[in-house]
Amino acid sequence: MRRGAALVSLLDEALAGLWRARRMTVVSVLQIAFSLFLVGIFLLAAENLGGVVDALREETAVTVFLRPGTDEAAQADLERRALDSKLVAAVRRVTPEEARRRFARSFSSLASATGTLSANPFPTSVELDLLPGAASSAALRPFLANLTAFPSVEEVQFDVDWVRRLRGVVRLVAVTGAATGFCLALGAAFTIANVVRLTILLHRDEIDILRLVGAPEMLIRGPFLLGGVLQGLLGGLFALGLLGLAFRGVLLFIATTENVLLGVFLVRFLSPTTCGLLVLGGVLAGLFGGTIASRRRHV
Amino acid sequence: MIEFYGVSKEYHRRRVLKNLSFQIAQGEFVFLTGPSGAGKTTVLKLLYRAETPGAGQILVNGRNVVAMPASRIPELRRTMGIVFQDYKLLPTRTVFENVSFVLKFLGVSLAERRRRAYQVLRLVELHHRVNAFPEELSGGEQQRVALARALVNEPELLVADEPTGNLDHRLAQEMMRLFSQINVRGTTVLVATHDVALIRETGRRCLTLDRGGILEGLVEAALPPQAAWRREGSSAHPVVPEERP
Repeated sequence: MRRGAALVSLLDEALAGLWRARRMTVVSVLQIAFSLFLVGIFLLAAENLGGVVDALREETAVTVFLRPGTDEAAQADLERRALDSKLVAAVRRVTPEEARRRFARSFSSLASATGTLSANPFPTSVELDLLPGAASSAALRPFLANLTAFPSVEEVQFDVDWVRRLRGVVRLVAVTGAATGFCLALGAAFTIANVVRLTILLHRDEIDILRLVGAPEMLIRGPFLLGGVLQGLLGGLFALGLLGLAFRGVLLFIATTENVLLGVFLVRFLSPTTCGLLVLGGVLAGLFGGTIASRRRHV
Repeated sequence: MIEFYGVSKEYHRRRVLKNLSFQIAQGEFVFLTGPSGAGKTTVLKLLYRAETPGAGQILVNGRNVVAMPASRIPELRRTMGIVFQDYKLLPTRTVFENVSFVLKFLGVSLAERRRRAYQVLRLVELHHRVNAFPEELSGGEQQRVALARALVNEPELLVADEPTGNLDHRLAQEMMRLFSQINVRGTTVLVATHDVALIRETGRRCLTLDRGGILEGLVEAALPPQAAWRREGSSAHPVVPEERP
């Protein structure tokens, strides 16, 4: 009970301290909010790009082109082995006729050209829809190698390299964001440290008196430490609010623009975990600043 | 309660206290006097470990203050109430806040803080000024707020440094009356003052600091005739130790 009341008192004193140095408090909260906002933008871009990459990868089917003249038994054997691999959800046989129709649908201006050919140039193929997660499974590559080794198989098409490259870009965006954010957050932490130090100077008399009347050291320094944490927390929450507003603004822009590609790349806000981490980043920056400022030799 | 054994203290090679020894029993009311610069404030500071001696031992309630680790000093100070010469009131806080803010940090509830602050402010007759700021108070009132703050944590030992230094004689007498009341309740009181007349009027045990040492009992007789502060008293009255209340 007494400990709880003491904590309430600490919080009360911390808030009062921030209020007394409110201008500096606002500056440091804004600075940390700006830093975390930038980090958030990078994370938002990374998460959405990552989502697009995952979706593309998951949606990519393996296409197995068969040699001309492959009989029904060989095709059935291939399909059975594919389904037994536990990587494939469904198989779909595509006849040369079906392939030609698809081509005509996709490239209408070239549709007449296929009619002029004496024979259908498209081979029979089998499309394999992968199970969720199969695209990133380590078992996929050996499975594809096995398919290629089939005598009836002419070619297996599953180009994941571009997906990998895109993922690399996403990772780079995330790392750049984290590094930039770390530098900015460090700067914000030092601003917080200065604000806390200023508050300490304003309270120099109180600190001396508290010490002389026997207040525990933690209770003397606690409000200043807590002040730093509160600034970080406020900065984190403010950054999150700004990100939410910016995201809504972009969504509104996308809804009114004719560029559909934008809609593909920006579809979701940060996950709750990332939001939590962003605010935690603010709290940690505040804690760091508060700790620097309220070291024994300063207080 | 308080025991000094062979305590010495120097400031920048200037020896202020030299092999100082004395004892004060639990529940006593003792004056510490001497000319300016005699080391009265230093003795008090040594008592609550704002200073450490160059040599000697200091015991408060049986605890060795000199050897005490820094982490235990707050605990030591919480057993004391300290009235500072310059009051050390917080100008941005009201009388109530000045008196009770230490309790706040110790986790005492608001209701209990109010109750205790009201009690001590009533004792010093300032219960009607709880919402006033220090600058709105007279010197005497500020001194009484400082006393209330020292008393609010119900200390075993009350230490006051020149508590009447800025008061006229009537207010100084009033302050002494308050100290006596507090002492009657069982609190040990140590008052550092150079006001010889006041010591005589109060008629309590007196320790006189002179040339770094201590002279027990007589407030004036044992002092060097050239001591300027001695002239404040008109005649040499012996001040004898009193029985504990």
